[in-house]
Formats: sequence, structure tokens, C-alpha cells
Amino acid sequence: MRLLWMQAGACGGDTLSLLCADNPTLEQLIEEGLELLWHPSLSVAPPRYLEWLIDAITTGRTPLDILCVEGSLIAGPRNTGLWDSLRDRGKKDAIAELAEAATYVLAVGTCAAYGGIHAAPPNPADCVGMQFDKASPGGLLPAAWRSRSGFPVINLAGCPTHPNTIARFLAFLLRGLPVTLDELQRPADFFSTTVHQGCSRNEYHEYDVEDTILGDRGCLFFNLGCQGPLTLATCNQELWNGRSSKTRVGVPCFGCTSPDFPRDTNLFLTEKIGHIPLRLPIGVQRANYMAYKDLAHEATPARLIRREMEP
Amino acid sequence: MTRRTLELELNRVEGDLTFQVELEDGRVADARCIGTTYRGFEQIMLGRTPMDALVITPRICGICSTAHLYAAVRALEDAWDIAPPANAVHIRNVSLMAEIIQSDLRQTFLFFTPDFCHARYAASPRFDAIGAAFTPFKGWMHLETLRYSRRVIEIVALFAGQWPHSSHMMPGGVTAPATARRIVDGQSLIAELTRWVERRILGGDLGAWLEIAHADEFGNWVLERPEAALTLLSQAARFAGLHTMGFGSPHLLSFGAFALPEPMVGRSHWLAPGVRFGSDAPVVPLDPSAIGEQVRYSWFKPHPGGKHPFEGETVPDYQPASERYSWIKAPRYGGEVMQTGPLADLVVDGDPLVVDLYRREGGSAWLRQLARLRRMSQLLLFLRRTLDQLATRISEPHRIPVPPDAKRDGQGAGMLTAARGALGHWIGIRDGVFDRYQVITPTAWNASPRDSDGVRGHWEESLIGVPVQDPEDPLEIGHVIRSHDPCLACAVHCLDSGRRIRFGV
Repeated sequence: MRLLWMQAGACGGDTLSLLCADNPTLEQLIEEGLELLWHPSLSVAPPRYLEWLIDAITTGRTPLDILCVEGSLIAGPRNTGLWDSLRDRGKKDAIAELAEAATYVLAVGTCAAYGGIHAAPPNPADCVGMQFDKASPGGLLPAAWRSRSGFPVINLAGCPTHPNTIARFLAFLLRGLPVTLDELQRPADFFSTTVHQGCSRNEYHEYDVEDTILGDRGCLFFNLGCQGPLTLATCNQELWNGRSSKTRVGVPCFGCTSPDFPRDTNLFLTEKIGHIPLRLPIGVQRANYMAYKDLAHEATPARLIRREMEP
Repeated sequence: MTRRTLELELNRVEGDLTFQVELEDGRVADARCIGTTYRGFEQIMLGRTPMDALVITPRICGICSTAHLYAAVRALEDAWDIAPPANAVHIRNVSLMAEIIQSDLRQTFLFFTPDFCHARYAASPRFDAIGAAFTPFKGWMHLETLRYSRRVIEIVALFAGQWPHSSHMMPGGVTAPATARRIVDGQSLIAELTRWVERRILGGDLGAWLEIAHADEFGNWVLERPEAALTLLSQAARFAGLHTMGFGSPHLLSFGAFALPEPMVGRSHWLAPGVRFGSDAPVVPLDPSAIGEQVRYSWFKPHPGGKHPFEGETVPDYQPASERYSWIKAPRYGGEVMQTGPLADLVVDGDPLVVDLYRREGGSAWLRQLARLRRMSQLLLFLRRTLDQLATRISEPHRIPVPPDAKRDGQGAGMLTAARGALGHWIGIRDGVFDRYQVITPTAWNASPRDSDGVRGHWEESLIGVPVQDPEDPLEIGHVIRSHDPCLACAVHCLDSGRRIRFGV
């Protein structure tokens, strides 16, 4: 399959994440038949070739199986996109044309999916995602848009996307495995797990042992802004770089696979009603949760209160 | 005399890059490095609570996110007058060292060496060996770099949880201690990586390589190891003439790499900070107040001379039809154009081999690339020693409590060495939120436009006189510019206007 990778308003983090994928690796995918028509960091051909390639693809001379877009789509100034230009026009327009020609369109990273960090208030560069503007359907492409395969833009969300989420999803396409999407157009196989699942601080959470300062061993959800119980991603099910995850080393989950990342609030603080977080774990009723927490608190073993358990 | 203007876009750098280059009789007579990406980080930071910098600023750059995190946390600690405990400093250093090793490996063998497989170099006696090593996704060195750059980044993940984009440093320390398990994992990884570097890149013992102090010893080393990647890179680069071009500014700037919590082996840093004006001058101490940013050729509201980032103003004034041509400001040190990066780091620190080569041939594109590999190999040693040091003090704290009243208004600076050189974050906090956030990245130093006196930036200057054999395929310009390790994602200048512009002619 032929893949074209475009970087819009990006830090390159999703490209670096792809290079970190260890199962499968990028080189394994290439050996298996993934053809990188163009990647800005990895291609040897001069950029002039990209111009030729875009022309060949948009005029139908070269088929394009997978278009990967990394980075926020920049609409400014005044919807011209010229603050991110490609040969005197907005790069967003070239990307929209390429999308029409592609069998699958992948938004790699939360920037390309929903706007991401560059779309944080006050959204200085008028950034949107490929088919979303934060959580609202419709971004660079309208909500009803579909690619040649019949799929909308497929959102591999994350800041950056988990390395193996990118590589495995590409393997799904290469090997013809079935793809189902959730309502935010993320592949369900990678977004049906909360970051809380597999978090090694779970026992602290279970017994309501909540940290109030960074650097300790307890749960980060009640006070330190952790979004783990509200965030869908494989971070604690499949470790990062084969080793760890943010919560395992005491860094709260910031909810980076969600459309509202980064939240417009103190990122290390949990907003609460009384002593209970304002935003509860997905699908949980407040009254039940309060009752559960009160009971759990009573049952806490001393080893957790003393934080003897290494997360 | 034939004169021709080229517009060149460049890939295999971090971010996009366009140069406007004037050729006269086959050589570069003038060069302009034009504009940058603006992604609005300062605008996003203003009004946010200071701790949010630990989440947002790493995302300035995907390849050096740990360096931005470290600079941000140092700026906060400076503003709040907090000194982290020794173990926290060591853990931060481990994370940053591993990130830099990763970047140096990927820059060298994924971005820089593929150009040596170009058919133009078919006459090189080593062409087949070079192709067998450096061809993307086929050559052994390219494939092994993909593999081992993933391995080294596991060391960051042990302490940071993930890479890129973690937030494991906070004012007063780090979020997790260096447990014995993490230390052993890190030591095993660094041992494995060192063995690979010795076998494939250096072709010999790391200690023996670091002992080399003279150009002739270096010459013997590579001759005796014809299959080592270091040898292939050196032979390819010298065959292409890269030791005779790409010099740029003779003024070298290093913010110092990896400040130590207490002096170790008589040092305050693993690589000392300092400044060296001109090729023969002594190294002088770094004076942060000598930094100023100028805007005569940048699209900002004009002001005379330079402004220190604590006083910097960033009022956009986009006038494409004027003499101004860039969205990067021109950072200057004592009014001078500086170059920063591994070459500057090692000359300022006094690495005998790099100093000797620098004295003989100057800071060429080849030496810049060699210095990057030399620094990478030094970091393997520093990293191992830092982990060994942590192993002797596992029970010491990884953070200190920060009383709430410490988080007061004020200003602070975080200055350190990232993969590409001198990085600084300058912050102002007022009423508990940021009222100023200025970042000067290494690439801003190197890629700056002309300054108030009309003096070219370092990259621009490094292209002057470079021969261009085929204007349709200006390979030489690619070599020189890639030897600077451009990171355009990092050249982000933080405007407060809400505009976002990128390199482009």
C-alpha cells in the first residue's frame, strides 16, 4: 500500500512516535509492503518531488492508499491557510485535495484529529482538525465527508499517538483486518480501554488513597488532574517504549486522546464538587460513586495509607 | 558572471525549511533563511497557571520535548527560588542525555548520511560500502539506527513514563524516584547501546576513542577501521568536500550541558558553559544578560538594537514587500552572531580532539557532524556515570516539598543545552499566571535572519561560497544545512499576536 505523510502545524512528535513503534516496527511494515511515497523526515527525494507527487495523485495518475496527516490544520489568516503554505497556497487546501484521492485518510495525533494543542484558547492560528473542531463534527472536511473506502477520517488520537497504535493500525490496513470506529472516529480496537485500566496505582484508587502533591505513590485522580478514568487509550495496557507510562512514574494522564486536550484549566488540578471530582469515570453515577468511595475509604489497608506499595 | 536565484525547500530536517540562495558563477553569493512556523505557544501560555508549562511547552518540539520540559521547570525554579535535590537533577540529566543521544543518532544516520548515497558520489572508492551502510531502510546502519534509537529512548521512558512528551519534572524535583529496578534497567540499556556504538559506529573501545586527542590519531583510528560507520561518514563527507565548507559564525555559544547538583570530578557541568569569540580567543564565562533579540529584518514592530528576553516584545508587523523577510527574530550575544550545537559545546568545553580539528580546519560542515558523534559518545559515558551515581544514593529524596507561598509572582530563566544547542525559556508570572513566555531555541540562534547591522545569521553565512555543481539538485546546500541539524518545529518564535507563519518564500 502506498502512503503519503503530510505535516501541517506540527511538532513532529507523531513522526517520532512512529519511529518508536516496536511491534510492528516501521521497517517491518515497509518490508511487508508499505511504500512510503513521501515522508518529510524520511524521504530521500528532494521536496520538488513532493510537488510532482501531489499533482500525480490529485490528477489520478498515482493511486494513494493511505494519507496520513500530522499536525493541526491551520486556517489563518482569514481562512486562507497561508500561515502554513505550500507553494503559495494554504497547505490545508492541498491536504483536502489529497484526501479526495486517498482510499484511507488517517489523522495521526490529536492536532490532526481535533485541533489539539495549537487550537487551545485563544486558538491563535485558527487551527482545526481534519474532520472535527475540538469535539464538534466538521473541521477541514465536513462531517458528512467520506474517503474512497467509505470511511470518514480515521482519528489516531494522542499527543503524541501511542507508537504501536500508529504502527498496528497501519498493519490492520495492510493485512485487511476489520476497522470499526467510535463516535469520535477513533478505531475501537485502540480506544476501548481507559488509561485507568492497567494503571499500577489502581489499588490506591480502589481504596481512596489520593495524593495531594506530585511525586508520591498514590492515585492522581482526585487532586492532581489525572484524566485516566475518563480517557480512552492503551497507555497502561501496552506500555510506552516497551517500558512504562506516565501514570506509572507519577505523571497524571492529561487526557491527550480526547478532543478537548489540552483542557482550558489548571492541568494539575482536579475540579471537585465537595470531595468528589466534577468529572467522574466514564458512565459512573455521582451518588453511587460517593457511596462507593466512602465505603472504600473505610476499608483502606494501612499498607496503602503508608504508601508502601510501589506503583 | 552568471547570477541565479534558487528557492530551495529542504526535507529530512525537523519541520519544513526554505532558503533563498543566490548563485554567482556556481557558488553561493548570498542566502536568506526565510520565516518560520508560528504555532502560537506564547499566546497559549499567557494567562495560564505556571505548572501548565510542564505540559504545553514540551509539545513545542517532538524530538527535544524533554529539553523544553527541563528548561520550563528550571525557569519556574528560578522564579520561585527552589533548588531541587541531587537525585532529581541526576534523573533529569539521565532523561535529557538519553533524548540527546537519540536525536544525535537519528539526525546523523536518518537525516544526514542518506545524501552520501547520491549517484554523484559513485566515483568514491567507498561508494559501495557507503551505500550498503547508509541507504534508507536497506543499509545496515540505517536499519540499526532505527532499532537502537528506539532502545535508547527506553531509558527516558523508565524515568519519564513515555517519550516523547512527558511531564515528569516539576518544581522541586521529579515525579518518581530512581528505584534500583529502574537503575538496573537503565544500566543494561546503556551497556547494550554502548556495545553497539563500539561495534558499529566507532569500530573500537569507547574509552580508547574518547582518549584520542589529535587529528593524526583520529586519522589513524578511521584508517584502521574501514567498516565503522564513523569511518564511512568521514570518508563520504570528505570526498564531498564538506571539510572545506559550511563554516558560518566563528563565535561559539554553549549554555552548558547537564548542570551537576554538586561538583563531580571537579566539574559544575558535564559540558561547561561558555562563550568563545573568534577562532583563537579564549573561552569566557557565559553572561545571560548579554543576550538580546533584534528585529530589523524580522516582521515585528521595529525597535533599535536588541532586547533581552525578559524585556522582549513581540508585536507582529507583517510587511512582505519590505526588506524584512523572516518570522524569526535575530538573537545575538553581545551583539554578535553565534553558532550553537555540539561543535560549540565541545570546543567551549575543550574536548582535545574537536579543538585540534577546529584549530586545523575550522568549523566545517564535516567537523560539525563529527562533533555530534563525538558528543553522542561522550554522553554514553556521562549517562552511565550518572546512573552509577544514582545507584549509590537510592534512598535520597527525588523531590522536596514546595510550600504554597513559594509560588509567587516574579520572573525566571531556564537555560540549558538541548540536542541542537543553547535553549532558553524566560518567563514572567503575575497574579499567579504567566504574563510573559519567551523561548529562544537553538535553531533560532542558528537560523536567524540578518540583524540590525545587516549581518547575516549563522546558517546564512555558512552557505556563502559553497560551490553548487548542479543548481537543479543542489546537494551541497543540503549537506551544509543538514550539518546544522535544523529543527524548524523548534524555531517557533512565540508571538503574542496570535499569528502563525512558516518558512516559505
